[in-house]
Amino acid sequence: MSSITHFLERLIFANRIIVIALFAIVTLFLGYQSSQIRLDAGFEKNIPLNHEYMQTYMAHRKDFGGANSVYVSVCDKSGNIFNPVFFDTLKNVHDQLFFINGVDRSLVVSLFSPSTRFTEIVEGGFAGGPVIPADFDSKNPAALDKVAANIEKANIVGRQVASDYSCAMVTAQLLELNPETGEPLDTLALAEQLENKLRGQFENDRISIHVIGFAKMIGDVADGAKDVVFFFAIALAITAIMVYFFSRSVMLTVLPLTCSFIAVVWQMGLLSLLGFGIDPMSILVPFLVFAIGVSHGVQMINAVEKKAIGGAGAKHAAMFAFKSLLIPGGIALLSDTVGFMTLLVIDIGIIRELAITASIGVAVIILTNLILLPVLMSYLKLDHKYVAKFEGKEAHSLRFWQFVSRCSDKKPAYTILAITALLLVFGLYQSQQMKIGDLHAGAPALHESSRYNQDTFLITDKYEVTVDYLSVLVETTGDACTSYDVMRSIDDFQWKMENVPGVQSAASLASIAKVVNAGYNEGNVKWEVLPRNQQTLVQAIARVPTSSGLLNGDCSVMPVILFMEDHKAETITRVVDAVKAYRKQYETDDLKFSLASGPVGVMAATNEAVKNAQIPMMAYVFGAVILLCLLSFRSLRATLSVVLPLYVVSVLAQALMTFLEIGLTVSTLPVIALGVGIGVDYGIYILSTMSYRLKHGDSVQQAYLTALQERGSAVLFTGITLAVGVSTWVFSSLKFQMDMGILLTFMFLVNMLGAIIVLPALARVLWFKRNED
Amino acid sequence: MKKPLAAFAALAISTAVFAQDAYQAPLVEQSLLLDITAGEQVVIVGERGHILLSSDGETFAQANVPTTATLTAVTLIDNHIWAAGHDATIIHSADGGQTWNLQFEAPDKQRPFLDITFFNKQHGVAVGAYGMFYRTQDGGKKWQSEQHVSLLDPYDREYLEEVRAEDEAFYQQELNSILPHINRVTLVDDRLYLAGEAGTLAYSNDMGHTWQRFEVDYTGSFFDIKPLDASTLLAVGLRGNIFVMRDDQQWEYVKTCSTSTLNSIYLENDDTVYALGNNGMVVSLSRPLPVSQHDPYANPANCEPAEGVSARQVANKAAIVNAEGFQGKVIAVTANGIESLNLQ
Repeated sequence: MSSITHFLERLIFANRIIVIALFAIVTLFLGYQSSQIRLDAGFEKNIPLNHEYMQTYMAHRKDFGGANSVYVSVCDKSGNIFNPVFFDTLKNVHDQLFFINGVDRSLVVSLFSPSTRFTEIVEGGFAGGPVIPADFDSKNPAALDKVAANIEKANIVGRQVASDYSCAMVTAQLLELNPETGEPLDTLALAEQLENKLRGQFENDRISIHVIGFAKMIGDVADGAKDVVFFFAIALAITAIMVYFFSRSVMLTVLPLTCSFIAVVWQMGLLSLLGFGIDPMSILVPFLVFAIGVSHGVQMINAVEKKAIGGAGAKHAAMFAFKSLLIPGGIALLSDTVGFMTLLVIDIGIIRELAITASIGVAVIILTNLILLPVLMSYLKLDHKYVAKFEGKEAHSLRFWQFVSRCSDKKPAYTILAITALLLVFGLYQSQQMKIGDLHAGAPALHESSRYNQDTFLITDKYEVTVDYLSVLVETTGDACTSYDVMRSIDDFQWKMENVPGVQSAASLASIAKVVNAGYNEGNVKWEVLPRNQQTLVQAIARVPTSSGLLNGDCSVMPVILFMEDHKAETITRVVDAVKAYRKQYETDDLKFSLASGPVGVMAATNEAVKNAQIPMMAYVFGAVILLCLLSFRSLRATLSVVLPLYVVSVLAQALMTFLEIGLTVSTLPVIALGVGIGVDYGIYILSTMSYRLKHGDSVQQAYLTALQERGSAVLFTGITLAVGVSTWVFSSLKFQMDMGILLTFMFLVNMLGAIIVLPALARVLWFKRNED
Repeated sequence: MKKPLAAFAALAISTAVFAQDAYQAPLVEQSLLLDITAGEQVVIVGERGHILLSSDGETFAQANVPTTATLTAVTLIDNHIWAAGHDATIIHSADGGQTWNLQFEAPDKQRPFLDITFFNKQHGVAVGAYGMFYRTQDGGKKWQSEQHVSLLDPYDREYLEEVRAEDEAFYQQELNSILPHINRVTLVDDRLYLAGEAGTLAYSNDMGHTWQRFEVDYTGSFFDIKPLDASTLLAVGLRGNIFVMRDDQQWEYVKTCSTSTLNSIYLENDDTVYALGNNGMVVSLSRPLPVSQHDPYANPANCEPAEGVSARQVANKAAIVNAEGFQGKVIAVTANGIESLNLQ
């Protein structure tokens, strides 16, 4: 391996100008490409499309819309909607929403849609009509009174009209493809239209507009994600200051930052070239790439400085740094890449995108920071004054390293290992309690105080319906809704589900048919049953249009819609388990109760996918790290010393998630893989020196002290830099970025501590024959 | 080989029992409940074979019954309870609701019983859709069908006689579909009152063997009829219509201005009577009842109710089907389950 390094060293440093020129050309090209990159969000990326539930969802999405709806609640601040201004606004909102590109026009529903009708029972039958008659004039108080009466007769209070009559709802379903272009719908553009054309245009001191739904949520996330530029600037400033304190040289500060920045440019350019956009949910990745780049840059500075103290010129120092860091740095970055790549096993589009984005970014760092950086540094002038400044620092830190190296002394080592074992047991216990999915009401990506979540709370408060619903799709044969037995099974199944804690209420064609049947019998609730007579049953069902979302064209598919009290993972699990238990009693060859559609159906699938992905993901990431360590150190003991602390820290991170009530979701799942992938760097850098020294006959203590002197400050510094960089996310307006920030800060810091405290203690025990005492 | 077979047999039996028994539902008290009666204890029946028993009117236990048909009516004499409902189901308990047996069931008739009443422990009638009328003389061991043409108005009877003269089979067919739904039978002091579809009000002095129709100027359906005292008879029905008859004179209209269908009469005391109905409507009527000239088919635009009449809705607006006083409380059965009514 060293011959390859040697060859590369000669090849690169003999052609420094060419190398720099090549990098410059590529950077220019990819810089142009990266300027073309755009924010990109889609609903389907966020869901596990191959999950069994989502297969059902996709199969019936055309008939029942899906989970991708938009709810617009128009509220009158006076608390009463019956005035001309309100009704005019509501009509405008309805029309405006209708004409927004990407809205399924057949499924826009409000008081003003013709499908919103009332019926009443009169002597001899039904009377009915549209809730808002064709000749409606909002200026006429009598017309408003009539609409008020019709609303009550139509039985839509709590659904289309707020229970306290202060708001009315316009709902729409979104298409997956833009009907004009046939391209996937630009969710962010749509969200912007919702904001500008609805809220911007119609919200004023009398009317408030509340918009919820996935599209709006992701739009708000994208808006929040734009703050990332600000956080990037702060992180850049802090990092620059810290690198300066570390290197005591402006040039040595500028170079690693520049190279890391180039890595980000390359990454974005490559993504754009590959046809990817940046998803708001993974906008933090460039950040991470920059931080990782800096941390490896610092190792490089460190190595150059160390050599310069020894009296070597800049070029020699840079060549030495290149030679000595190419392997450990390469291995470390490769394991980062592999760590990210393991995320590809998770069958959720957005996580795969994150895996690709991140692994490209990290792979690029190998080029920018392990090749370009030493080449650039070889042009530096390291004068004596500077070297002297650095020497002083070295002498000062020696005492500190001597103190730290006592971690590998017998007694401290045992103490450390005992504490680590205790932490592991505690962590394992706590991590068992870790919750899957979203633990809080509203959109988990956003803070509770965000407008979006406030709107969600308002809508769930003012209306009886909830946006948290799960549809069980009853799949049967054509015209099955005219079969008493089928409908009876659906009705019985629905009743059992209504009795499951967490289900607030339920609706299906069967339950509506019963109400209609009572309607046909003069509204007498004693007739609220499914008629055994087929003609009577047909008559009842004929009054339910397919636009109700309760049946498809030939009623071979009928959803049972379960409205849930919340979307906490345990509620979802309980309800899904109940569906699986109860459906066994009713299923036949021609009658299947399939999970699932609706927003909670999507969550159920996502939760299951995330839960099922967790263990394989950990296995793969650790497998990859172990393999790479074995390859580079060719020592089981060295591998154990690196991997065990990592494992403890990842368990502790899960315990932290339990403690902070952070659920395992699409956005937090990758964090542990990222943390392990990056966390392994510290151990690899320390152990690469140690194992070299150990092979040359040093004791563990000596080898560790040498490693600390050589790499310790860089490791310490790297951990802090990375942690500071991600800790700024705690102030993000996006809840998931905050969660990721907390978890990554924890993983970076504690992994660093693990590498300089637990690793030597482990080494002390594993190389027990190589000790001074 | 023997064991799995036995296990399979056991499973088959247990699912068979399961299929028949009412599912013990946590939300049973919030299910659609359709009738209530009270003696020593309160008995409530409703959808899916739900039967609820309570000795204090507050805590209810769901009885295990051999049907999942929706039960629409219940009656009791001492420890004997009968409940009737859809699929022409009649079930009976001889031990105050602890155990139940199926007395009658005819799903193929596709008709529900809508009320049931017993004159004594042996003799009772169950009535329902399309004039369905069954009688037992032996406590329900045998139920026999009767058809009461006398419930029809004179024109319909005349028509039927003409048909019968030509074709006996067609007569039976017509009779089966022309008889009105019997929504309610009320037994007071040996006289049986009946309220039914299409303006049907009738009484019988011989336990329902023969009927005399009341003539009332309304063709909408009636859901309850009840004597308030020796000289006053009250009937309520479709679209909030209330009629009162005094001293065997004409039926007169009581203006309430509410168009919610009224399902039951609840007699609170000598001063006030209540009519309970759909949309959670509670109509309070002071006695003596004020009557007025009013077109019962009209829509009540700008309507002022008669003095002493007021209509209000309970908060959840669920249809109130019936109510019963028990230990100082008024317990109502509604489309949303049990509700304690505060009538003051």
